[in-house]
Amino acid sequence: MTARGALQLSEKDNVATLLEDAAPGTGVLIRLGKETSTVKAGESIPFGFKIALTDIAKGAAIIKYGETIGIASCDIKKGEMVHIHNLEGGRGRGDLMKGEVK
Amino acid sequence: MNFMGYERPDGSAGIRNHVLVIPWGFLAAKICDFVDGTKTILSPDSGSGRTSRDRETIARTLIGLGRNPNVASVIVHTLSAGVGYPELAPARLAGEIARSGKRVEILDVVKEGGTLKALEKGVQLAREMVLEASRLRRQPFDLSQLAVGVKCGASDTTSGIAGNPVIGNLFDRIIAAGGTAFFGETTEIIGAEHILSKRGINAEVSRQILEAAARTEADAKATGDDIRTVNPVPSNIAGGISSLEEKSLGAIHKSGSAPIQAVLKYGERPEGKGLYFVDNWMSMGSIFAGYAASGAQLVIFQLGGGGFFGHDLLFTSTAVVSPLMWTTANPKTLAMAPTSLDFYSGTVIEGKDTIEEAGGKLLQLVLDVASGTMTKVETLRHTDPTQIYLRDPSF
Repeated sequence: MTARGALQLSEKDNVATLLEDAAPGTGVLIRLGKETSTVKAGESIPFGFKIALTDIAKGAAIIKYGETIGIASCDIKKGEMVHIHNLEGGRGRGDLMKGEVK
Repeated sequence: MNFMGYERPDGSAGIRNHVLVIPWGFLAAKICDFVDGTKTILSPDSGSGRTSRDRETIARTLIGLGRNPNVASVIVHTLSAGVGYPELAPARLAGEIARSGKRVEILDVVKEGGTLKALEKGVQLAREMVLEASRLRRQPFDLSQLAVGVKCGASDTTSGIAGNPVIGNLFDRIIAAGGTAFFGETTEIIGAEHILSKRGINAEVSRQILEAAARTEADAKATGDDIRTVNPVPSNIAGGISSLEEKSLGAIHKSGSAPIQAVLKYGERPEGKGLYFVDNWMSMGSIFAGYAASGAQLVIFQLGGGGFFGHDLLFTSTAVVSPLMWTTANPKTLAMAPTSLDFYSGTVIEGKDTIEEAGGKLLQLVLDVASGTMTKVETLRHTDPTQIYLRDPSF
């Protein structure tokens, strides 16, 4: 079990931000205000990167700060790292047609 | 809450006491080489081949820097008075700065009979003005006389969690005391503009916030680039930020919670006090001079830094007349650049401070710096060049 764990910023969020490095298989303490829960890290996730709090299906919104920060570009399993390899931002995308997200 | 500042004729409070020489050029550079206590804007933006809108931005920047309370007096030098663009005419620049009541002198090469003769005159003039400024003594001013500007940069996920919220708390405290604060970086409200726009003091301000974001997003799309190859910048992505939306949602925390009084142009001076959104460009080479021209006596760079390593000496400022303070919430960044960083808010992540407590400590440091304590990078003579934020094509 990690000590500082990860910070969940809103109850709507499906990701939390690691406050320390997490090794694969480690239980990560998820802190939301005074509430805590545990998610097992599915892979190595460094400080400052995001961990999935639930399974997130391809095409579903990824929520942080209670707001959409992007769309899952593939199925993401609970405990996996969420970053540019599986999260697709949708705003300001000159490479996409309007409103289109891969 | 008070700080010790220099009283200016218009009642404003300088936290520094410079003699400013504008615009940039041979005379300004050489006068500043010879005379201690002088500053110039290191910028090649002369207005040549620029639209009237861009020339007005350059003029607004120069005039605003001259009017900044940190400036005791100003020399405007000219190679050919009266034959350039009207916006940048020396008499216009000098006249608008002099409205603040401070001393402004025009140094005209033709009138002095050549460049070196003008240099001699300029050096003697600057020495006299520096001596005059040095006779001023600091006196107490209320926090309501302070204006600060912030940029968040090399942002990582500590920025949105702790670094920016602590700056936001500082802003709330300054504004509650009747002071002024500036934030901006329009690209970095895209994805968060629906939250920010609700804080406009009226429907028009809210509309302007949304419009600034929409215009910037349209400009971004028109390039055909994937914005993720532009902004978030590579260091953001290496620091854990995955999309522009995520960056923006973290970035807006630096504005605190006060209502937004108006949307300002780069370098525009506000009519009143409170919190202002400046429609500007995030580049550190540009943004700080704009804040100083808007009237900020102090500028802050809130650094993430998780995505780069080895930068122990951080950028030293382009705010020309206003000192730059560095903050971070990332413990690795602090370990990397302890000789540049002035304040550490990672105590929030470590559970040692609340955002409120860290904000209170930061305010104390801001009051110290406003009273004369130097920031770490301020101890260096080096100044990086300033890029005035010009939006039109050049011709």
